Amino acid sequence: MRLLTLLSLTLLGFGSAPTLAAAKKTPEERFQHYHNKALSSAPLKLADASYRELTSAPRDYSVAVLLTAMDSRYGCQLCREFQPEWELLARSWTGGDKKGESRTVFGTLDFGDGRDIFMSLGLQTAPVLFLFPPTIGPHAVASPEPIRYDFTSGSQAAELVHSWLARHLPDRPHPPVKRPINWMRWISSLVILSGGLTASYAAWPYVLPVIQNRTVWAAVTLVCILLFTSGHMYNHIRNVPYVAGDGKGGISYFAGGFQNQYGLETQIVATMYGVLALCGINLAIKVPRMTDPRTQSVALFAWSGVLFVVYSLLLSIFRGKNQGYPYSLPPFM
Amino acid sequence: MSLGFCFQSSFSANPILLFAGFESIIHEFDPWFNFRATKYLVANGFYNFWDWFDDRTWHPLGRVTGGTLYPGLMVTSGVIYHALRALTIPVDIRNVCVLLAPGFSGLTAIAAYLLTNEMTPSPSAGLLAALFMGIAPGYISRSVAGSYDNEAIAIFLLVFTFYLWIKALKQGSMLWGALCALFYGYMVASWGGYAFITCLLPLHAFVLVCMGRYSTRLYVAYTTWYALGTLASMQIPFVGFLPVKTSEHMPALGIFGFLQLLAFLDYVRSAIPSRQFQTFLWLFAGAAFGLGLLGLVIATSAGFIAPWSGRFYSLFDTGYAKIHIPIIASVSEHQPTAWPAFFFDLNMLIWLFPVGVYLCFQQLADEHVFIVVYALFGSYFAGVMVRLMLTLTPVVCIAAAIAVSALLDTYLSVKSPKPEENQAVEGAEGKKAAKSGLKATNKPVVGVYTTWGKGMIVSALAVYLLLFVLHCTWVTSNAYSSPSVVLASRLPDGSQHIIDDYREAYQWLRQNTREDAKIMSWWDYGYQIGGMADRPTLVDNNTWNNTHIATVGKAMSSSEEVSYPIMRQHEVDYVLVVFGGLLGYSGDDINKFLWMVRIAEGIWPEEVSERAFFTPRGEYRVDGEATETMKNSLMYKMSYYNYNNLFPAGQAVDRMRGARLPEVGPTLSTLEEAFTSENWIIRIYKVKDLDNLGRDHSSAAAFERGHKKKKVTKKRGPRVLRVD
Repeated sequence: MRLLTLLSLTLLGFGSAPTLAAAKKTPEERFQHYHNKALSSAPLKLADASYRELTSAPRDYSVAVLLTAMDSRYGCQLCREFQPEWELLARSWTGGDKKGESRTVFGTLDFGDGRDIFMSLGLQTAPVLFLFPPTIGPHAVASPEPIRYDFTSGSQAAELVHSWLARHLPDRPHPPVKRPINWMRWISSLVILSGGLTASYAAWPYVLPVIQNRTVWAAVTLVCILLFTSGHMYNHIRNVPYVAGDGKGGISYFAGGFQNQYGLETQIVATMYGVLALCGINLAIKVPRMTDPRTQSVALFAWSGVLFVVYSLLLSIFRGKNQGYPYSLPPFM
Repeated sequence: MSLGFCFQSSFSANPILLFAGFESIIHEFDPWFNFRATKYLVANGFYNFWDWFDDRTWHPLGRVTGGTLYPGLMVTSGVIYHALRALTIPVDIRNVCVLLAPGFSGLTAIAAYLLTNEMTPSPSAGLLAALFMGIAPGYISRSVAGSYDNEAIAIFLLVFTFYLWIKALKQGSMLWGALCALFYGYMVASWGGYAFITCLLPLHAFVLVCMGRYSTRLYVAYTTWYALGTLASMQIPFVGFLPVKTSEHMPALGIFGFLQLLAFLDYVRSAIPSRQFQTFLWLFAGAAFGLGLLGLVIATSAGFIAPWSGRFYSLFDTGYAKIHIPIIASVSEHQPTAWPAFFFDLNMLIWLFPVGVYLCFQQLADEHVFIVVYALFGSYFAGVMVRLMLTLTPVVCIAAAIAVSALLDTYLSVKSPKPEENQAVEGAEGKKAAKSGLKATNKPVVGVYTTWGKGMIVSALAVYLLLFVLHCTWVTSNAYSSPSVVLASRLPDGSQHIIDDYREAYQWLRQNTREDAKIMSWWDYGYQIGGMADRPTLVDNNTWNNTHIATVGKAMSSSEEVSYPIMRQHEVDYVLVVFGGLLGYSGDDINKFLWMVRIAEGIWPEEVSERAFFTPRGEYRVDGEATETMKNSLMYKMSYYNYNNLFPAGQAVDRMRGARLPEVGPTLSTLEEAFTSENWIIRIYKVKDLDNLGRDHSSAAAFERGHKKKKVTKKRGPRVLRVD
């Protein structure tokens, strides 16, 4: 019973405001009013009443409303990321359509200003982007219900939302998104570039020997090869976590399964490859060039010992990744 | 003698491993198309093959097959077939196709031997490289018998073209350059991966120029290769004018022009005094650069030069494919490579590889620069895409062979130096050593004093090599020699059990359906249906038409009411789905389903939405909690239709996804079950004809089930196909 009264109250509250407002103004007047407002500051900052008035049922214009929660208390990361894109879209659309030919109004309703709207719509998440198509006029659609934009796939650029809007508003002008020129970025990159050029000109006599140094090139090449062959590109593309917990409060260094890996894991593997390669290089190049027999024997023994142990460790790690791999070397059997 | 042994070992190891388990059979997906094309070539001759329009794929569009494939592989086996026939050796074309890959792997081993011998004076390095090449799992994956794929001959051509390039560069010989161009042309005719050569050779030339190593040898080798090779590549209809249009061929063209400029400057320098030459050089360089850049910008903006093709672009901007071209991202071979895959495919070569590259820095002649550049590029691309592991394998084998041979040459020599002699020599020679080399190699080689040290290293190396051979054998017999058409599993008692559902189903199609019955399936199975069942398909593995694939994706992911008109419009007779729920087979269509949805969503974002297939909590579920869109999708219904009847009431379980299915299974009204294979892996449905009484299918099906027909007051018009 109580629920019923509550519901009817809400309905009353929801129903009465727009009828009052609509009684005052025709759809045409409403659009002109809000469009003029929008020309000075798009998107419009809406509150409960203005939201209801703008979206009330007989309308010959479209409304795009972003319901968002910008306050830091709600911790809505996506809202804050999307807000500048949304403002850019609204500004360039309204600015490119001063006469209102597309008959589209952009508005933003923050949770702080329109708590009741959020409640009445039963929204649990933010941001939500609604497009209210016109119900009367040449572009009228059958259902007055708004169309909801899907915020699932990753970052939202203004262009994506623009193409979504354009798809739903056919046969009307679609003013393109105009990104303002980022002067700060241009100036800073110019300064950095000229600074870099000056610095490199000044440092040229000192840099040149480094550039021409074969050992430096060899080192850079080997590091790159080790990075690539230890699955660094996989981390880069898949954004794998650096480490993960093992569920018991500890850290698991190696991901289970053949097709998975963690960031730290690839670094460990790259290091092991590096150590193995270093042993190989020393055994092939350094050791036979030692003139003292005693030093040579010690170096030989040490490098080959390290090689053996690390390779054994590598095999045992690989066995952990690939169950059923039958080969191993002592001591890590 | 030993080379012969290596050749033989690499040739013979593979087929034995293969035939041990299965009969002679073509593997995987693409080989089925190649085999079908080869049969057509052998039956109809070369010119008919060149003009072949295939109306049995991509129904109703068809495919201009002769102009959209790389013909090298088919022509090679056709030539071998006719040569053997001419020698009166009766041979079946299938056996030529099955054994082509192991045959060419022997040639690859020889090419690797030749290329390695150009790098180092040590005779053992080449033999080791041939041995590694013959058994490295990274290459065996494509050289087992039955893997009748473009890569089977392409890797040989890749290595051999590199060998000829090094030869041409070393000698500055136009003859070797022309041979290099010839084999480059053959490579272009065989595999899309030719772009790797097209980019690597210019890069090598560019690095050499940057190091101040421009020479007439380089000029002769490069210009001969580029001019002849580009002409040769343009003879392939599929490639056509791409070499002068697309951006991935631009580096080769750019370096070609750059070398002309350098040659011109070289000539001018010999003709005018050096002061004037300085001014001339600056002006000239500035003008050339400006003009070139302007020309490139104009040509690109005017549309003469195509933008980067998607597949190529995705190599550099790694996020690109996921957003823009789901069809490329959906292929498992296009995924990035995790580190275990490197170790799995190359084992100990992976850490010998940097050693070999480091040794190349020791001398750093022109050919060593090539190895370094190749190593860097190859390892980057192999990291980005699993299938490019194949192009990395040759350089890994060569570099590792250089490293192992350097170790063996040092530690296997019987001669030991005397300590006293070297102490005296050191003072005299210590400062004289060349400054340009690596710091580590400034001192002269002394040798190893102790015999036990030598013995230890050599025996350790022997153990590692033995382990490598064991690893390769294990990997090959476990991972790469089972054809994916036939699945092998182990019974609890350890004996092998062969699951042959694919061939069972294709045989059923062949025997029970009309010759021209159109089969709709996801594109993965298109080549197999065309090759094994000999029936026309809507889409296949040659993914040239994204929209058509998206149409199939939409039909699979929509409800029956939407799918039926689509299937009628495309004259589909049967629908084939792969279902692994009973057996726990992971490669089934429900697991691939999201890609179908994504690809369809790319074309019809209003009608198909990926979001609708996830529960509100963001899970992809197939059990009772699955979303309505999921439950109503044609794919879901076809996969789980009648599946409940296998289990006691309410106990149906999907073993693949570990999900308990709802008690009441899905119902189908526009399709009827035609065939289900032994282990339920393949399920085939027949598309019903329009209802005789003009009812729609759902009410007809409801009537059959015994539900009372709802009163329809509205008078129906003539029956029409609903068009969405």
